[in-house]
Amino acid sequence: MDLKDFLRKVELFDGLTEAELEKVAAICQQRRFHRGDILTKQGTPGEELFIVTKGFVEVFLEAPQRVVVNLGAGQIVGEMALVDQGLSSATVRAVEEPTLTQVIRFEQLERLFQQDASIGFKIIRNIAADLSFKLRHRNLSER
Amino acid sequence: MASYKVSYVVIGMDHPGGIVNLDHKPFVGEQVRLSDLTFEVLEVLEIMPARGGFHYYHATCHPIPTDISSDGTDQKSS
Repeated sequence: MDLKDFLRKVELFDGLTEAELEKVAAICQQRRFHRGDILTKQGTPGEELFIVTKGFVEVFLEAPQRVVVNLGAGQIVGEMALVDQGLSSATVRAVEEPTLTQVIRFEQLERLFQQDASIGFKIIRNIAADLSFKLRHRNLSER
Repeated sequence: MASYKVSYVVIGMDHPGGIVNLDHKPFVGEQVRLSDLTFEVLEVLEIMPARGGFHYYHATCHPIPTDISSDGTDQKSS
């Protein structure tokens, strides 16, 4: 599948025009992970946003150790550190062989936001919706 | 084309569930794979109004029993 066709199906990019999607696609890099590989480590500075394109990752808290959610195709990882500039809130590791992602460096995304505020507004709004959905999932999981 | 963002919550075992995008609405009886296990959907609810091309669903599911074959792969029980 063409990268733009995939990005169009990712909620993070909902509402972007074709021209805006082109700009996002230009800063994406594909990265392949093997089962057990770490995408982000809890407590370390986050520098990249990951979009799962194939496979699954698990979001894992270190203390006490527990998996809080599995994220599959179309889901994003690293958005909290992008929003609050804090350290990564969890460890994320690949649990399927292979797990494929598209990766965007924060600095490139922030530069894009500065160049085009419309893209910045839409993506930040969509990140808020994604965080809301994840919170709803967690609330439903703990019923 | 619509996309369906689904929150899967597992009952009947200690499992964190998952979130996945589908190209179709989830349905009762559907079998889904979340990382290393397969589950059957028991209930489907819309949890947020659709926005843009996205629909938001919550599905409750339970594990489908599997046997481990001699080569180490999961085999669904008949």
